[in-house]
Amino acid sequence: MSTALEAEQTFVDKFPDEARVVRAAFLSAFFALFLGAIFGIIQTLHRTDVARIIPSTDYYTVLTAHGVFMVISFTIFFLVGLFTWALTRSLDRPLINIKITWTWYGLMAVGMTLTGISILAGFVDSIDMSADVLFTFYAPLQAHPLFYTGLVVFIVGTWIAGADWFRTFLAWRSDHPDQRIPLQTFMVLTTMTMWYIATSAVAASVLLFLLPWSLGLIDQVNPTLTRTLFWFFGHPVVYFWLMPAYMLWYTVLPKIAGGRLFSDPLARVVFVLFLLLSTPVGIHHQYLDPGIAEGFKFISMTNTMFLLLPSLLTAFTVVASVEYGARQNGGTGLLGWLTNLPWRKPEFTGMMLAGLMFAAGGFSGMVNAGMNINYLIHNTLWVPGHFHLTVGTAVALTMMAGTYWIWPQISNKPIFSSQIGLFQVVLWFIGMALMSNAMHAQGLLGVPRRTAEPEYSGFDYPTMFGGFEELNVQIAIGGTLLFVSTILFLGNLALTMGNPRVSGLAEPLPSPVSGSEDAPQVLDNLRLWVSIAVVLVVLAYALPIAAIIQRGGLLGPGVGTYPVWVAPVFDALADAATPLVGAVTDASASLVEVVR
Amino acid sequence: MHIHAYEKLWLALSIVLILALIGTVTYGAVGPGVAMVADTQQTVDSGALDEDERFSEPRVEQVGENEYEAYVVAYQFAFEPSPIVVPANSTVTLHVTSRDVIHGFEVVGTNANTMIVPGEVSEITVETDEPAEYGIVCNEYCGAGHHVMEGKLHVVSQSEFENRGGDSA
Amino acid sequence: MGQNETAHAGAEDVGGGEEFDPIGTLTLIGIYFAILVLAWVYIYYVEFLGRDLVVVG
Repeated sequence: MSTALEAEQTFVDKFPDEARVVRAAFLSAFFALFLGAIFGIIQTLHRTDVARIIPSTDYYTVLTAHGVFMVISFTIFFLVGLFTWALTRSLDRPLINIKITWTWYGLMAVGMTLTGISILAGFVDSIDMSADVLFTFYAPLQAHPLFYTGLVVFIVGTWIAGADWFRTFLAWRSDHPDQRIPLQTFMVLTTMTMWYIATSAVAASVLLFLLPWSLGLIDQVNPTLTRTLFWFFGHPVVYFWLMPAYMLWYTVLPKIAGGRLFSDPLARVVFVLFLLLSTPVGIHHQYLDPGIAEGFKFISMTNTMFLLLPSLLTAFTVVASVEYGARQNGGTGLLGWLTNLPWRKPEFTGMMLAGLMFAAGGFSGMVNAGMNINYLIHNTLWVPGHFHLTVGTAVALTMMAGTYWIWPQISNKPIFSSQIGLFQVVLWFIGMALMSNAMHAQGLLGVPRRTAEPEYSGFDYPTMFGGFEELNVQIAIGGTLLFVSTILFLGNLALTMGNPRVSGLAEPLPSPVSGSEDAPQVLDNLRLWVSIAVVLVVLAYALPIAAIIQRGGLLGPGVGTYPVWVAPVFDALADAATPLVGAVTDASASLVEVVR
Repeated sequence: MHIHAYEKLWLALSIVLILALIGTVTYGAVGPGVAMVADTQQTVDSGALDEDERFSEPRVEQVGENEYEAYVVAYQFAFEPSPIVVPANSTVTLHVTSRDVIHGFEVVGTNANTMIVPGEVSEITVETDEPAEYGIVCNEYCGAGHHVMEGKLHVVSQSEFENRGGDSA
Repeated sequence: MGQNETAHAGAEDVGGGEEFDPIGTLTLIGIYFAILVLAWVYIYYVEFLGRDLVVVG
């Protein structure tokens, strides 16, 4: 370690208050990861009939908990921690008011606790509370009001987080009127803008329909409408999970590889493309829905396919940045440079393996995006096979690998064991390769997702790819390896927290090969991109949503209520809200007429 | 803006790939004629299917030479009719709806697969081939008994179909 | 390590034109492209269109 580096300050040296928030957010994320992993292993062994320690009716409580804890708590708590670090670091100034920062962290924590309680209460028969509605909470299955309330509080927390970062950015801007937005800040701002657009729909769905309905204030909801509003949010949320991983691949991975980012301008282009295209694509989750015209589905597919572009560009830029590093370290040949990379570092190998799996997930994602081929794989195990490659590895493994690099920066504590870390990330890769591959294959056999017992009495699955039973074994082994990997990660981190603080851990990030001076000024014009994004969303969604309301009515064509919990008596309030509904239905009908 | 020549090449290849993917799907729609389940059917009252002439008695009906319509009701946790019996080498239009929550309808190992949303009717037309027996599963979570929700589709020879008589109503 | 990379990068920057040709990246991503195309053709034309009960209406 050179003296020059020892003189460098780590993030926690410079911004101790922000570092505490980052650590708190990461620890919340990892607590959720721990819970999610427990439910993951229970579920894997149950589904594959290796060990059924719960009744099959409780499987859906487990599944809801696994989904919500992993993709809402784990990913988003990690995101807010990482973004707090990235924004503060790249603007080189503290957040405006740390009390506000702790407020949004607190709201997120309280919201997730409420939702978590409503889910876990599903295990206790003596409590009349359950939220066995899975991560997608499709009406007319109805969860306890606490489930929806917690989600709203959590999302409001993330909104305030975004506002906190925007305000800090604006303060920086007034001090630096002519400077380019630093790349990491640019990533934070574009991602949060996307998040505001995306969450507006799910917030509307919950606040206007699902929560009042679960409280008994309205009798019924339109299941196609709430489903569509969910997927309005449900696709961009996957990019919300992914953007922290992209940020680490663009800004940290090249440094670990011994090089620099290949192109700052292209990184900005990629994040702008995500802002523009992430939302007007959600209907591709509803290709097989009745009540939505084929034309809307085709438009959604076109947008979705173009959303491949930023990811394909990312693949090139990130690998080229790594190659640059390898060649700086003496790498030669067409592919020989691959041996001149720090494969012994878990932060490097973890991110590279995550990227490799993302490439594989890119293929199954193409299939998911292809409109009519959806008949082949819709709601089969192929789909969870796909997203365990993307959010389950590209995101989760990058977050774990990134933690090995970033934790010393925010705590001044060196990682307990790099060897365990390396073993852990490789184990995750092997486990996921087994599990995800077998899930894709079972999906092609027609095995459905989201079911406690995928074996049926009336028929057998066709025999291909080794057959149903053999694939179950692969899923069970893979899932077990993933659980062990998670425990090793958490154990390594816990031991790291017990390490004494040291100095000299600072790892400053190098500037890109092609820097922001090469990026056209227009890329930093956030107002422009937000306007275009909103226009695209309106184009993609105004007509489908108006058509859905016209078909089924704002509150649906007489669909009943199916609580997964025992409803309290709110009936007195029931009819209060109904007169409003007719007016909105009429309005949307006339909108459809006008546009036609 | 400075973009390396190799990256420009990759950008061009990526766009070609995207257009090829959209092109393949378009070919599937135009060539083999794969159609999406869509908004072709009117909404129904899911709470009053008993009074609906099509769904009060779930059944298979002949509507033309070699053309059949099947009316299928899904509910927690079964399909009706079960089995759905249709003749080989015919065109069958399935109308599937739900009496309660959202379900899925997937004829295992085939392309017949659709969501079932209460209040909506999913209409898909398929062409049967040789006699065969298929399983049907609900592939959308629909409640605590979701995993027991299954049905059957029997494609039988024309003569067997006529002998069954009662099933074809 | 951090210092090395700064020194190298500095030397590299002096060269005119393209500082660095990522030929290895182009090779890898070319292989990926070929795999994507082959896998797509297989899944669409063999797995999907080859199945029973294609939905035609």
